[in-house]
Amino acid sequence: MSFPFEIYVIQATHGVVYGMLLFLVASGLTLVFGMMGVLNLAHASFYMLGAYFAYSVTLYSGNFWLSLLMSPLIVGTLGILVERFLLRKTYKIGHTAQLLLTFGIFFVFGEFVRIIWGTIPLSISVPTLFAGDIPFMGRTYPIYRFFILGFSLLLLVGVALMLMRTRIGIIIRAAVSDAEMVAALGTNVPIVFLGVFGGGAALAAIAGVIAAPFLSIYLGMGGDALLDCFVVIVVGGFGSLPGALIASLMIGELQSFGILWIPRLALVFQFLLMAIVLIIKPTGLFGEKE
Amino acid sequence: MSHLRGFQLGLGIAVAVVILLVPFLFPEIGIHLAVEVLIYALFAVSFNVLLGYCGMLPFGHAAFFGVGGYTVALILRNFPGTPLLLTFLMAALLALVIGASIGFFCVRLSGAYFSLISIASQMFLFAVALKWRSLTSGDDGMTFTRPELHLPILGGISMRSVVNIYYFTLIVVAVAILACYLFLKTPLGNSLVCIREKENRASFLGYNVFLTKLAAFLASSILGGLAGGLFSFFQAFVGPSFIDINMSMVVVVMTVIGGKRHFLGPVLGAAFYVVFQDWMSSLTNYWMIVLGITFIVIVLYAEGGLISLFENERVRLWVSRLKK
Repeated sequence: MSFPFEIYVIQATHGVVYGMLLFLVASGLTLVFGMMGVLNLAHASFYMLGAYFAYSVTLYSGNFWLSLLMSPLIVGTLGILVERFLLRKTYKIGHTAQLLLTFGIFFVFGEFVRIIWGTIPLSISVPTLFAGDIPFMGRTYPIYRFFILGFSLLLLVGVALMLMRTRIGIIIRAAVSDAEMVAALGTNVPIVFLGVFGGGAALAAIAGVIAAPFLSIYLGMGGDALLDCFVVIVVGGFGSLPGALIASLMIGELQSFGILWIPRLALVFQFLLMAIVLIIKPTGLFGEKE
Repeated sequence: MSHLRGFQLGLGIAVAVVILLVPFLFPEIGIHLAVEVLIYALFAVSFNVLLGYCGMLPFGHAAFFGVGGYTVALILRNFPGTPLLLTFLMAALLALVIGASIGFFCVRLSGAYFSLISIASQMFLFAVALKWRSLTSGDDGMTFTRPELHLPILGGISMRSVVNIYYFTLIVVAVAILACYLFLKTPLGNSLVCIREKENRASFLGYNVFLTKLAAFLASSILGGLAGGLFSFFQAFVGPSFIDINMSMVVVVMTVIGGKRHFLGPVLGAAFYVVFQDWMSSLTNYWMIVLGITFIVIVLYAEGGLISLFENERVRLWVSRLKK
């Protein structure tokens, strides 16, 4: 099958946009796993809750930008509560209990959303500032997607600077590599972890808010994002942020071009990729720890 | 005989009598629920071989349920003359083959990695079931007619009435669960627990960790496939819902709520889930959230699950209180 060249460029841009959204969700997941070895299944609920809170805030205030501020705050607080009052109890019990607990939280949040917002997919309109299309490669392209691209790049740079250039960033990176040693050196690792957990939840919520006008808001969005995130952190390597970035972009492109070329198998590809990576290199492309 | 043994024996006999007499005690809808309980019980027991006995958490266990379900449906739809028991044998066999090809790669991975590859393989098979329309009819699923069961002496038994389906399911499930119990009582079964507790030590003692885990994975796949086959036979239908992520989640919930530390925990969990769902969903729209919160509470505070209510210590307490 061949398409005109600009279709490829547009499809590739779609892929990058989706990949960046995925990275915002997956980055928190991979950091949390790296620090505490917790695979937080509830993480994708934060993404979903972010989108739903954005819907409500936009509905009542009429202001999308307010929801971009409020929703991550609410969800980040929720994340902190979840870590402090539920997850923290399981560190002594073991990994299976952690997986089961976060699974239970995922389940409860899903039901919570169903009860409050119902099962009908919702949508919010694109903020007027970025409404409309602009010419791009001889066709038109929604401005809002460029906004997503720019905004998530900005966040990416912000997070990278925070991790690489600040004291707290050094502590987080050190804790990912060896949490016990960092604790032995006198850092209060549980507090740092609480912060990372809340921050990760807030990042996922931001992804949910900015995705809301462009994908619709529906009940299965958490589960869908969760599966994509699994693929991302497995392929990129558990605990590795650069790995998560590259894997997110890979999955974005894979889905984008998979739908273009072989729509019937688009769903199969990423799980095949994940299985292959797990079999050949279980640590992922950039992971170091087993 | 102590009061404790007497109590437990009495309870066991009462439950057995009720199970045998279900078609005479309950209206038709109740028999339907009972068949569901039986099938989910087998599915949850197969799941608990991995979760309870091996400490592995397969989040994609519906893969085998779906494989069994689709096998039965495809055989009965395309080759209506196939003997029923052969059909179920084929379902178990195909689940075994799929289980071997997944298990070979995933049982050597530990913790979250194992769970993830389990989900990945389930989603892969789900996508195949959804998209291979010429074979599986995709979204729509497939219906078929239930054939008669031919037995050597009794001749043909119609599978139209729910009572016959109930007894047929009961016998298959009872045999399968008994086989699973005996398997777990073998030295091989015991070595699973040994590996769960301390994998390194087990391997130093000379156990082949990989093969032992693989054996458990295969046993679990066969039973899961059988459960799926029975379910599709019971519904006379198979569809992607047999192999989707919800089915995988349901079995996790049933097993944990019932209690993963006891062989019969998942059976109790399955009964609880089906009855609770039927009862609560008619009362309130919020039953799933109640279930989810129960699940979280059990994970955090009561690892033994519901079955621990019948454990020796607690029963001894009740019995002694009754005596006073």
